[in-house]
Amino acid sequence: MGHDVFEITINSVKMLVIFLLMVQLVPVLVWVERRGSAFIQSRLGPNRVGPLGLTQLLADAVKFLQKEEFLPEHGYGLIFYAAPILALIPAALAFASIPLSAPIHINQFLWNGHSFGPYDFEFQSFHFGVGIVYVLGVSSLGAYSLLMAGWGSSNKYSLMGALRASAQTISYELALGLSLVGAIMVFGTFDFSEMIHFQSQPLTSLLGVHFNIPALNWGIFYQPLGAILYFAATFAETNRLPFDLPEAEGELVAGYHTEYGGLKMLMFYIGEYGHMMVGSALMVTFYFGGYLIPGMTVEQVHNLLGTWLHIGANPLAIVTALVLHVVFFIKVLFFLWVFVWVRWTLPRFRYDQLMDLGWKTMLPWALANVIITAGWMLFKGMH
Amino acid sequence: MDLSTLLFLVLSFLIVVFSAAVVILPNPIYAALSLAVTMISLGFMYFLLQAYFIAGVQLIVYAGAVMVLFVMVLMLFDLRKEIAAFSGGKFAGLLKILCGLFFSGALVLAIRQGVIALNVSPGEPTPAEQIEMVKSLAMRLFTQYVLAFEALGILLLVVAVGVVAVARSRGGTHASHN
Amino acid sequence: MPAITSAVGAVTIVTLNHYLALSGVVFAIGMVAVLIRRNVIVMLMGIELMLNAVNLAMVAFAHYRQDVSGNILAFFVMTVAAAEAGVGLGLAVNIFKRFKEVNIKSFEHLKG
Repeated sequence: MGHDVFEITINSVKMLVIFLLMVQLVPVLVWVERRGSAFIQSRLGPNRVGPLGLTQLLADAVKFLQKEEFLPEHGYGLIFYAAPILALIPAALAFASIPLSAPIHINQFLWNGHSFGPYDFEFQSFHFGVGIVYVLGVSSLGAYSLLMAGWGSSNKYSLMGALRASAQTISYELALGLSLVGAIMVFGTFDFSEMIHFQSQPLTSLLGVHFNIPALNWGIFYQPLGAILYFAATFAETNRLPFDLPEAEGELVAGYHTEYGGLKMLMFYIGEYGHMMVGSALMVTFYFGGYLIPGMTVEQVHNLLGTWLHIGANPLAIVTALVLHVVFFIKVLFFLWVFVWVRWTLPRFRYDQLMDLGWKTMLPWALANVIITAGWMLFKGMH
Repeated sequence: MDLSTLLFLVLSFLIVVFSAAVVILPNPIYAALSLAVTMISLGFMYFLLQAYFIAGVQLIVYAGAVMVLFVMVLMLFDLRKEIAAFSGGKFAGLLKILCGLFFSGALVLAIRQGVIALNVSPGEPTPAEQIEMVKSLAMRLFTQYVLAFEALGILLLVVAVGVVAVARSRGGTHASHN
Repeated sequence: MPAITSAVGAVTIVTLNHYLALSGVVFAIGMVAVLIRRNVIVMLMGIELMLNAVNLAMVAFAHYRQDVSGNILAFFVMTVAAAEAGVGLGLAVNIFKRFKEVNIKSFEHLKG
């Protein structure tokens, strides 16, 4: 946590801010989803409340808060009410360990008569060396909230949706984990910061063509197949179309959240969008250079900002981190837009097709990717 | 009291309470969910014991897959009202519980007797050190224990084939193809 | 033995003994679960509990002896336990299909 009061305070506030960042992005994403779907389907979408309908979600939140609170007649109270809360936790825990920007180095400074020593703050709530293993472990707990929601509401449709959802999540977790293994082998680490450090090296050659672009040594150039498989598996993990069988409204009313309304429903939404955010953030961190600007290393950004803005070293470090943070979020928002785009473009799979795709197509391809990567690394003599 | 001691106390409380709930609760679904909480707490306790990779595997394999499978099967059976959750008569049950209490008491007493003085490097390792620990684990796994690792792979293959053979049902979504 | 709240009050170190005692208690609880429950699936959960207790002891030993062999053994135990749970659940599903309950008594029919 830290060694003195200042460091502990900053680290605690940081945890809270990163959690709120995740939760507060959800209204924006819902707006993007609704306006984006309207754009794709050539209609207007919600545009009455506020400019471009941006405050529609505020109105929706007020509506959600006023909804009636109820428990299904044969429902199980404890499980029914615990499920939406549990839907939120895995995504929040996973998101907290992803680096959102470059670490900030603060030199020694005087404040209020006291001298505060040099600090190194990382732009993430907590830093585990085994980052990706932790994220996969925590996000695999998401299945419980779905199962509890389905069983606790004592409804056939809910239970069917929940069983579909958990079977799907377990099946695709395998393909998802294996598709990342190739990238982990190339980077030689589980640590997100180390991965971004690897990707900040210059890209020197691609398919026999030689050039030299700094900070473009991205994972996508080493693992194109892994990236595709990972992104496809993320759709199944987050229960989004084309794999949204658990809540297929044509067959199961609304799946596991049939009996939920109001704020509890909103919690499920936040959990789902949180999983999407974790998936996109991992995609960016693994394959698209994390918070790096293509063609510019962190030092170059720092120096460029230093020549533009004439401020001290400490504010400059903070401004640099914030700029890189914005870059990271632009990348993440692009992949979140792809989620919306795919949802309103592709039709839904049938359940047996979904399982066939997961077990018979994606898993063998992911295994082949691991073997090819291993052979290539052996041939090249890497590590 | 430092943070790791506090975490140890909270996690061990959770582990003992929820593993006792596995025995006590008559509804098997509640028992399975309690066991899931136990598994997750154990996973975080492995983080405390600086076994980072094992902690991740515990969360992925045990909490994320095995326990989800248990809960799924129980929900599929829909065993809400179980007629006879506990076995035998009152006397036999009491004897079994006493047996368990005696066993745990004897174990704890025996552990109290033996003071094993071992030195641990103080402080939390940095992320780079954590990665080094995982790397040393992998080195041992793929050199010294590689035979056991391969045997485990064969075991998993055999088990996968066996389970499909045991639990195969005629009919279902794939019935028309074969 | 240094305790969590010793008489001195200042010594607050978690030792190997604490982890081993916790592991022993969890093992005994798992044993009781296997002994007194009738539901096959809950009995399987008791076995999982015992395996986890042993894992905890091994990881604790590995940490306090600074030797990763314990972790590797725990890793093997987890894999075998996952396989065992798969087989056990497969059998339970078959028994349930046949007798519409998963009482351990139904397994008596398995004898020749």
